[in-house]
Amino acid sequence: MARSRAHLWFIGPALVLMVLILIVPIGIAAALSFTDYSLGNSGASFVGVENYEKIFTRSTYEKMFGATFRYVGVVVPLSVGLGLGAALLIHSLKRFGDLYKTIYFLPVMAALIAMAIVWEFALHPTIGIFNSTLERGCGTVLENWGWYAKGCARTFPLWLNNRDYAIWTVCFIGIWQAFGFNMVLYLAGLTSIPRDLYAAAEMDGARSAWDRFRLVTWPMLGPTTVFVVTISLIRSFQVFDMVEAFYPHGGGPSKSVYVMMFAIYEKAIQQNLMGIGAAITVVFLGFVMVLTLIQRTLIERRTHYG
Amino acid sequence: MSDATAQGAGAPAFRFSTAETAKHAVLILGALIVLLPFYVMLSYSFKSPAEIMQNTGGFFGAQLPFRDDYCVKLGNPVEACMVTPVIYNYTTAFQKAPLLRYLLNGVIVTGSIFVIQVLVALPCAYALAKLRFWGREAVFGLVLFCLLIPVHAIALPLYIMLAKVGLTNSYAALIIPWTISVFGIFLMRQFFMTVPDDLIDAARMDGMSEFSIVWNVMLPTAIPALMAFAIFSVVAHWNDYFWPRIVITGNRDLFTPPLGLREFKGDADGDNYGPMMASAVVIVSPLIVAFLLAQRRFIEGITLSGMK
Repeated sequence: MARSRAHLWFIGPALVLMVLILIVPIGIAAALSFTDYSLGNSGASFVGVENYEKIFTRSTYEKMFGATFRYVGVVVPLSVGLGLGAALLIHSLKRFGDLYKTIYFLPVMAALIAMAIVWEFALHPTIGIFNSTLERGCGTVLENWGWYAKGCARTFPLWLNNRDYAIWTVCFIGIWQAFGFNMVLYLAGLTSIPRDLYAAAEMDGARSAWDRFRLVTWPMLGPTTVFVVTISLIRSFQVFDMVEAFYPHGGGPSKSVYVMMFAIYEKAIQQNLMGIGAAITVVFLGFVMVLTLIQRTLIERRTHYG
Repeated sequence: MSDATAQGAGAPAFRFSTAETAKHAVLILGALIVLLPFYVMLSYSFKSPAEIMQNTGGFFGAQLPFRDDYCVKLGNPVEACMVTPVIYNYTTAFQKAPLLRYLLNGVIVTGSIFVIQVLVALPCAYALAKLRFWGREAVFGLVLFCLLIPVHAIALPLYIMLAKVGLTNSYAALIIPWTISVFGIFLMRQFFMTVPDDLIDAARMDGMSEFSIVWNVMLPTAIPALMAFAIFSVVAHWNDYFWPRIVITGNRDLFTPPLGLREFKGDADGDNYGPMMASAVVIVSPLIVAFLLAQRRFIEGITLSGMK
């Protein structure tokens, strides 16, 4: 029967592509990370762990980890928290829930690069809508707030070009873009909680909304949360579009927004330092794969006991 | 939360509720923040440079004709150079950069990626789900392992490989890294597991070859899963900026929409904000409109991507 051979034709292309596109590059990155290779040069010399040593000792890379972890550390909890909050509110509404859902999901669909350009414009210090709106508040009670008064007296911050604000502004846009996605995942989780559980909890004396949330909703959302958190982690580790759009060279004021994906791009593509780029790639890949593995084990354990 | 459960379905339709109002207040505030950049983008794509600079004109701008200095500089009489802001912004967007070309590239690239992904993944998923053969578990194990690898993260070695074979700055460079979707294989395999074996056995009895079973029996049953996967794939690759940025250097003819927009931004002085916003509208619109028309499908499709 032809059947015995068919699988080779079915599996073959996928297998070849998997190896060539996903497995071999990891090997190449690992090998190159121990060299000073650059594209166009005939050869490369073995430099041992020098590249890794640089990553973990030089201040540039310290800033890289700083910016990356700051971004991940802010965007993940806030986009998950806001996603959950929005989902709980929308789920409990009697009407217009779908409308909010649609609006909050819009940023997920829009090309981040396009929206980054719009945000940059909205945050423009002189003609941007953001600071001009803030200026309208001058002379009102808002001036009692020291920060606001200072803004009125001089100028409001250059959100994207001030060393103290840049990373947080980028984080804000990251949250703006990401939380709608988390909201949708949480909404799916909420609809799958059986109604009787709430009735049962009420019988057992869970009267307040908080009790119901703590005793029923939150535990039942466990698997969703594991899922949402890891997805958010992996995605925010890979942030690139905004950083490149705002700061095509150097990674922001004082390298305060020099995230890993941008570092790989800058070192390897812009400066043709493939060795160091490969080393960052390996470290980066390590992070992301470990995160995914943790997610897998957590979710599998959940389904066993859940 | 408390309110919805306490009042239940029997509550009168229009009774005022503080909790409900508070919820709407919070959600409306959130919606305003979410919509702000969309508002800015759309509104400023309508306005004249002067209105943009002074932040006047409301949402649509006054639409008073203004003088296009560039047109005057080309030696045209002043009267012929008066333009309406909205027309100026959108025509400039299409003239200054080959936006239509970018959009076409976007369609070619995302379309090819999806078609190849399905051609590769579907037979593989079928074999993994329904055929018994030596090494099947190993192949599936490899698929699961590959699910851990985000292609963006290995962009650098992929770029080196493509550069070595001289493929950068080509459609091939934009498409090749995405031809294999392990997520697609995984998704289809899970779907095929639920298809009853009897269906396949019946097809075999009828003398169908394994090839025609894949394309004539399995493919039609998998349409819902394929739709979800199509949305996920198209949204991801239409919006992708990172990979095109790496492999396409300089050759404008190959720019995908996000890349084209970035180039537009590069030479933006004050006057160009209107056309820049207009091109952002053009590039963002196709997916947003499609999303508004088929929200449920889109959300399902994108949510599935979470499994990646």
